[in-house]
Amino acid sequence: MQDDTSAADILMGDVVRLEDVLSRESVTSVSKSFFALFGLPVRVISQEGDLLADVHRDRPLCNYVNTLSNGERECADTVGLVRDVEPNGQTIVHPCFTGAVYRIAPLAHQGRPIGRLIIGPYVPAETQGPPASLTSIDGSIHLPTAREHFDRMPRVREDIAEELSAHLKGVVELLVFSGHRAQLASTMQVASVRENYRELAEKNEALKTSYDELKQLDQLKSTFLATVSHELRTPLTSIIGYTEMLESGAAGALSDGQAEFLNTIRGKADQLLGLISSLLDLGRLEAKSLELHNEAVDPRALLSDVGSTIVPNANRRNVALDIKVAEGTPKIWGDPVRLQQIVLNLADNALKFTHEGGEVILGAEPGELDAEGPEGLGAALFAASRPAVVLTVRDSGMGIPEESLSRIFDAFYQIDAGTTRAHGGAGLGLSIVKQLVDGHDGTIEVTSALGEGTIFTVKLPAADDNA
Amino acid sequence: MQIDFAKKELTLKLVYYGPALSGKTTNLRAIHWLGTSSTCGELMTLETQNDRTLFFDMLPITVSSQSGLKIRLKLFTVPGQVMHNATRRLVLQATDGVAFIADSQRSEADSNRESFLNLKQNLEEIGIDPTRVPIIIQFNKRDMEDVRTDEELEAIAKQSREPIFKAVATRGYGVMQTLRGLVRETWDKLEEEHQLEKKFGISPVRFMNEIELNLKHNPGRRER
Repeated sequence: MQDDTSAADILMGDVVRLEDVLSRESVTSVSKSFFALFGLPVRVISQEGDLLADVHRDRPLCNYVNTLSNGERECADTVGLVRDVEPNGQTIVHPCFTGAVYRIAPLAHQGRPIGRLIIGPYVPAETQGPPASLTSIDGSIHLPTAREHFDRMPRVREDIAEELSAHLKGVVELLVFSGHRAQLASTMQVASVRENYRELAEKNEALKTSYDELKQLDQLKSTFLATVSHELRTPLTSIIGYTEMLESGAAGALSDGQAEFLNTIRGKADQLLGLISSLLDLGRLEAKSLELHNEAVDPRALLSDVGSTIVPNANRRNVALDIKVAEGTPKIWGDPVRLQQIVLNLADNALKFTHEGGEVILGAEPGELDAEGPEGLGAALFAASRPAVVLTVRDSGMGIPEESLSRIFDAFYQIDAGTTRAHGGAGLGLSIVKQLVDGHDGTIEVTSALGEGTIFTVKLPAADDNA
Repeated sequence: MQIDFAKKELTLKLVYYGPALSGKTTNLRAIHWLGTSSTCGELMTLETQNDRTLFFDMLPITVSSQSGLKIRLKLFTVPGQVMHNATRRLVLQATDGVAFIADSQRSEADSNRESFLNLKQNLEEIGIDPTRVPIIIQFNKRDMEDVRTDEELEAIAKQSREPIFKAVATRGYGVMQTLRGLVRETWDKLEEEHQLEKKFGISPVRFMNEIELNLKHNPGRRER
């Protein structure tokens, strides 16, 4: 079926062609059972003149008249007329010169003619003997033969024939009705799917546009951050420089109070500088413009360095600090400065959220980075897994609620605004860690249990043995 | 609208719209029940799920007027459930008039409004100006409890652009009046746009007389 036909169907629900809604098989099957029951031949013809069903048996009378030259001509004329006659909404009884008749009933659907059915030839039961039109059809006719064949024609009373044809018409029209229904349903189904698809495609397009706009805004934000941080850092460096000069006594001796105030200024300025540096890092990481100077890094040295940096803080807070490096842990392939930043950020965080008496453990062990691709499936198509170093930072702190786990690596995200004030920080640390790990082609995962603690697991590619 | 000048045949598409469960299919069933078999064809129900319309129902009505013009009315319902919006839009295509079947119950006022806005939006999306398509509103389910009162509906009718009808479709009350009202509105609009009187020699008054004659109750059937 063509598309424009389906569109018209939907618009008006009309039957375009009988053949589209009435299968030849089903109408032939109905005609056959009609013929078997009543012995009456049936033909079903569409409005366009196509024969959809033709169930009949050659009658000896018909065969006989066709052997006569006049008979053959008359028979062809009659059959032609019967096939072409238009019943115009009324049943027509069309006579044949043999004395038989054809009953032609119109088929309609939703007030429109769609074809006709023809029952016959049969001889009305009321007819007495062969008519003159048969006996005088041809000079060579053998009357006893003609009479014998005439008597063997199927006979039906006209009132019964009328009922039979009305019944068959009803059955065929019902077939048309259900065929039309099925056709409309499938057309509607396809059209609805298309319409839904079109609607979804439009919505997807709109989503994509707003996503692109958001990405642009995000880009603007990064540029803005980078510019502002840079502009902030210059005067801040001066503030720190002059503070240091004052502290060193370059402008004269200081009283104890002055020294204490300067110390505070210095501390806060350092804190501010740290924040600004983080912002700059983030900007560079997001712009993918941070350069990594990779080399083979010894994990034990890395963890010890970080440990010695945070141990004073840990002692102050009465938190136990432990470092565990497993036997056979390979070296890491990475930028030593950035690796230290990763571990320090995680360790600082761990310490920050661990209560007095708790513990923080930094660990390293050999491991593997999973190959890309779906788990186990089609592994042959993907790179084999690579040797890796697994760094873990484990704490016995407050833990992270499950609903926050997916967002903790977002820049500026704080689990709740209250913790910012309680523990300080701008929510940049983990975002930077994530970007740095990504930059090293590594992975970072977090598991946490509320009230029991949190484990950050960083997998980084191992350096080649000979490195 | 489809016009076949050769056959002197005119086909109008009329769509019954409205919120889910407001009684659109019930309207068509009642018309089918009340109408004479020579006028009303078979009611075609296309795919239902738990007695809810999935695609549409269609009732063909044929009126042979004395002027020789054959008028075919095709009544469609849309599926009312919100998720079938694409199907509603398809059924609405090329409609000549809309009967909006509202639920009279006070609790359904929001659904009525939502569905009417949806109708307006869908008409706009398929390129039909909602201010130019004939629309009538039927307040159905008048027999339920806590419905808007007749006085309220009269007050609403005075302000309404669209003619208002009242019905109890489950019992056949008001469905024929609604249909005749919709046909009248639609014919007036088409007369204005297509000068049908000039083309077919049938005046709006005569046309409506023919419709009144044909769209009356089957004497054997009564509102239940």
